[in-house]
Amino acid sequence: MAHQTHAYHMVDPSPWPLTGATAALLLTSGLAMWFHYNSTTLMALGLLTTLMTMMQWWRDIVRESTFQGHHTMPVQKGLRYGMILFITSEVFFFIGFFWAFYHSSLAPTPELGGNWPPTGIHPLNPFEVPLLNTAVLLASGVTITWAHHSLMAANRNQSIQALTITVTLGLYFTALQAMEYYEAPFTIADGVYGSTFFVATGFHGLHVIIGSTFLIVCLLRLIKFHFTTAHHFGFEAAAWYGHFVDVVWLFLYISIYWWG
Amino acid sequence: LRQISQRTISTASRRQVKNRVPEMQKIFQEDNGIPVHLKGGVIDGLLYRTTMALTVFGK
Repeated sequence: MAHQTHAYHMVDPSPWPLTGATAALLLTSGLAMWFHYNSTTLMALGLLTTLMTMMQWWRDIVRESTFQGHHTMPVQKGLRYGMILFITSEVFFFIGFFWAFYHSSLAPTPELGGNWPPTGIHPLNPFEVPLLNTAVLLASGVTITWAHHSLMAANRNQSIQALTITVTLGLYFTALQAMEYYEAPFTIADGVYGSTFFVATGFHGLHVIIGSTFLIVCLLRLIKFHFTTAHHFGFEAAAWYGHFVDVVWLFLYISIYWWG
Repeated sequence: LRQISQRTISTASRRQVKNRVPEMQKIFQEDNGIPVHLKGGVIDGLLYRTTMALTVFGK
């Protein structure tokens, strides 16, 4: 470690790629077992091993950066590219579901009654809870920017407060959406409307949960003094992810809730 | 009155968190050849063995 003559990070040998790959195998075969043979054991094992791998892998990254100092500027640059590429790939993931939605809704088939929303479907009022959800996510974008600026200005109390509010807003969104799902007059089985609605909003909700988790980890690290005013890429990555989730929601809101 | 309100606002209900980063930096920069995923201590080893056991058992 002390002998390297370059600015890059040659990581220690690690077992987590192996456990992660195995976990993915267990998860996917577990899904198949659940769908076809009504057994959830394999999937539960897959979920557990995935979780354990993620926690230890990311814990090690915190150790390598904050405690060992391996994240030099070139390394950070690589991480920035990586996060941007990852978010871009997720954008394409969502594009697929929007494609499916527009494919079915722009030219509704006779089986649906020739109109959209299909005959018999009572869509949710976009000006009720969905509008609140929009406000909640937009507000979280404001508070996370506030937190970032406070962090860069070395204002510990304000950055902690602002990030806490951001996390709370994310959890509030999830709770509201869960309630909407429970109360909705239509289900995922209600034709192509139900499928496109719940798959698109469902994956979005999952990403809100992922984003909130990332932000909670950042909050804990912020409280534990891990971030400096100039070096806090983990926080920035979480902020980018949060903004991405917010933008996806705006598209969902306009397309599926309002236009649809 | 102002004194009271100021005092109330500044009372931290949580303990003041101590900055443990320098301690951690010392532990993780020790030149003992231990890889980062085990360098934190005994619990690291336990977690590692448990994770490995679960993945092997699953396979």
